[in-house]
Amino acid sequence: MSILIGAETRVVVQGATGAQARFDIRYCLEYGTRIVAGVTPGRGGESVEGVPVFNTVAAAVAATGANASAVYVPARGVKDAVFEAVDAGIRVLACFAENVPRHDAAAAVAAARGAGARMAGFNTNGLISPGRCKLGGIGGDRAKEIYAAGRIGVCSRSGGMSAEICSALSRAGLGASTCVSMGGDPIVGMRMVELLALFEADPETDACVIFGEPGGAHEIEVAEALRAGRLKKPLVALVAGQFQENYPAGVSFGHFAAVIKGETDSASAKRRLLAAAGARVAASLEEIPGLLRRS
Amino acid sequence: MKLLEDRAKAWLRARGLPVPAGEAAKTPEEAAQRAAALGGKVAVKALVAAGRRGKAGAVRLAASPAEAADAARAILGLEVAGQRVTRVYVESAVEIAAELYLSFGFGRLAPQVVACRQGGVDIETVSANDPASLVCEDIDPLRGLSPWQAAALWDRAGIPSAQLPALAALTARLYEAFRAADALMLELNPIAVGKDGTLSLVGTMMEADGNALFRHADWQDLSFDEAGPGGRPLNERERAVIAADRRFSGGAIRYTEVPGDIALFVSGGGAGLLQHDLVLAAGGRPANHSDLSPASVDKPAALFDAIFANPQAKGMLVGMNYLQLLPCTLVAEALLLSLGRSKIDTRRFPIVMRVFGPKEDEARKMVAAVPGLHYMPPGASLEQAVREIVARVKAAS
Repeated sequence: MSILIGAETRVVVQGATGAQARFDIRYCLEYGTRIVAGVTPGRGGESVEGVPVFNTVAAAVAATGANASAVYVPARGVKDAVFEAVDAGIRVLACFAENVPRHDAAAAVAAARGAGARMAGFNTNGLISPGRCKLGGIGGDRAKEIYAAGRIGVCSRSGGMSAEICSALSRAGLGASTCVSMGGDPIVGMRMVELLALFEADPETDACVIFGEPGGAHEIEVAEALRAGRLKKPLVALVAGQFQENYPAGVSFGHFAAVIKGETDSASAKRRLLAAAGARVAASLEEIPGLLRRS
Repeated sequence: MKLLEDRAKAWLRARGLPVPAGEAAKTPEEAAQRAAALGGKVAVKALVAAGRRGKAGAVRLAASPAEAADAARAILGLEVAGQRVTRVYVESAVEIAAELYLSFGFGRLAPQVVACRQGGVDIETVSANDPASLVCEDIDPLRGLSPWQAAALWDRAGIPSAQLPALAALTARLYEAFRAADALMLELNPIAVGKDGTLSLVGTMMEADGNALFRHADWQDLSFDEAGPGGRPLNERERAVIAADRRFSGGAIRYTEVPGDIALFVSGGGAGLLQHDLVLAAGGRPANHSDLSPASVDKPAALFDAIFANPQAKGMLVGMNYLQLLPCTLVAEALLLSLGRSKIDTRRFPIVMRVFGPKEDEARKMVAAVPGLHYMPPGASLEQAVREIVARVKAAS
């Protein structure tokens, strides 16, 4: 088992005829992901890398039984694309657009959550259950080398860091049950603590690794859940961005979500909260495998 | 991206909301003319992106055009919250019997409204001293804020029944204005309640969403109001990166200078944060922070241009996580393009590249002829690349 995606996942790609989608579709197919349909309005009847393109998600679902969507529609149109996917019955989404207008992001996330759909993004590079399915560009052309299969659940606010963490796990002989890049925008479809709850319930996940950043409350919610005993599996946390505390608050240095507003959402405050709640806090990538093995 | 009071109020006024009549003025003479046109008592306020201007002596009442000119003379040129006042806002003064507080912003997943029956004061102080008087609620973005919800909200905030219908209707319309503006924040502090119950929006602050400017042609110039660390104005290189980010489509680039000498061309948000931490831990001093997400060659090239134009930078780390969404050749191509149009001599400007992923072999070949450039061997960690650039910059200086 894994969370969110698995061997049974059948993927529709929204915005399939764009350059990034084509780039990723090729690597997903090589990886073995069952990409069954693409959607670009007005381009129905064409194909991308051998995948048939439909005009609407509903038509794609009806023809192919797709149950997850990789959404490549750019920021300006992505709200509507999420509405369309949810209305067509899609219940797992990865939304890659970044810098989505905040009101659009909130509306899309509300639509997805209201329908019981689980959404990674905005500003995710996807999710992967090694050996079973990769949804999105995650892993590029080296998904097999970077993401070994194993029993660690990985949840990262940064797509790039999900690759670095998993490659550190692979080098140490460990691997991921599922790795989720949850998205770097301020509003994302799932809270980190909700993803960890899915890992908590997954019998094939023994422990989790999170990558956190300054700003926002994801890591604070995780610390609360640990303290309350809602999360029991061992958790290793790497929280980057301490350098921001050298500079005045309110300046964004990376992801828009990573803007520190006060003491409690700085990297070092989050590390303290997580450590006090029982998480094992890593100072670098190289420390992660050792902290996972500590009993 | 804060909108100054004149533009925020113009937005609300255009939607028929009860904003006092007012206009901006650049000189005391203009302020007097505005006051004469408005008639009666006016308030003269510094047009700067800051709250609590009253405390800074940047809001004055004037009973005549001559007094308005004096008030403007006293305020123009002041420094308020680190900003020089170059314009004032002259508006009709409103009789105030009571003051309320209302704001819209975003919570963890949805828009949020905060209401309080104590307005006109510092809301952080109210929050600290009397948290129960603040009423806060999420708004369903798919349904908006309906008048009945707004009535329930103000009822909980302790507003007398007779005032609820008008206040609730105004609040629902303000949420709609907040949404239509694509605002990240809209604060009405205070909403003035007159003796006859008339409501007017006296204090207004609004923050626009830089990602939604494509829907707001009038606000294209806004980002240049933004400041760098410590409230300093953006420098020409930072402005050039913002301009390039707007001009070229796809992806995103960001660039902020800090005092130091190791330029960081880093990407992926989190990986950039980690590398900045690691450079400091290794005893180096970054010259900037940056971020890049998949884009055409123009955006990364503009980021390289800014780095090469920074006189403080003595070397550069091109440190990326395993590339998953774009080929390594794109980074190499942008680097060569920018080097070709810059005056940087890479023999005296060490460059360390850790760019792994699709088309890596090709990228390695493309930059092999650049003197002073060190491409990390396959499999090298982020930590190793950081140690390499710190050592090379130390050796070169």
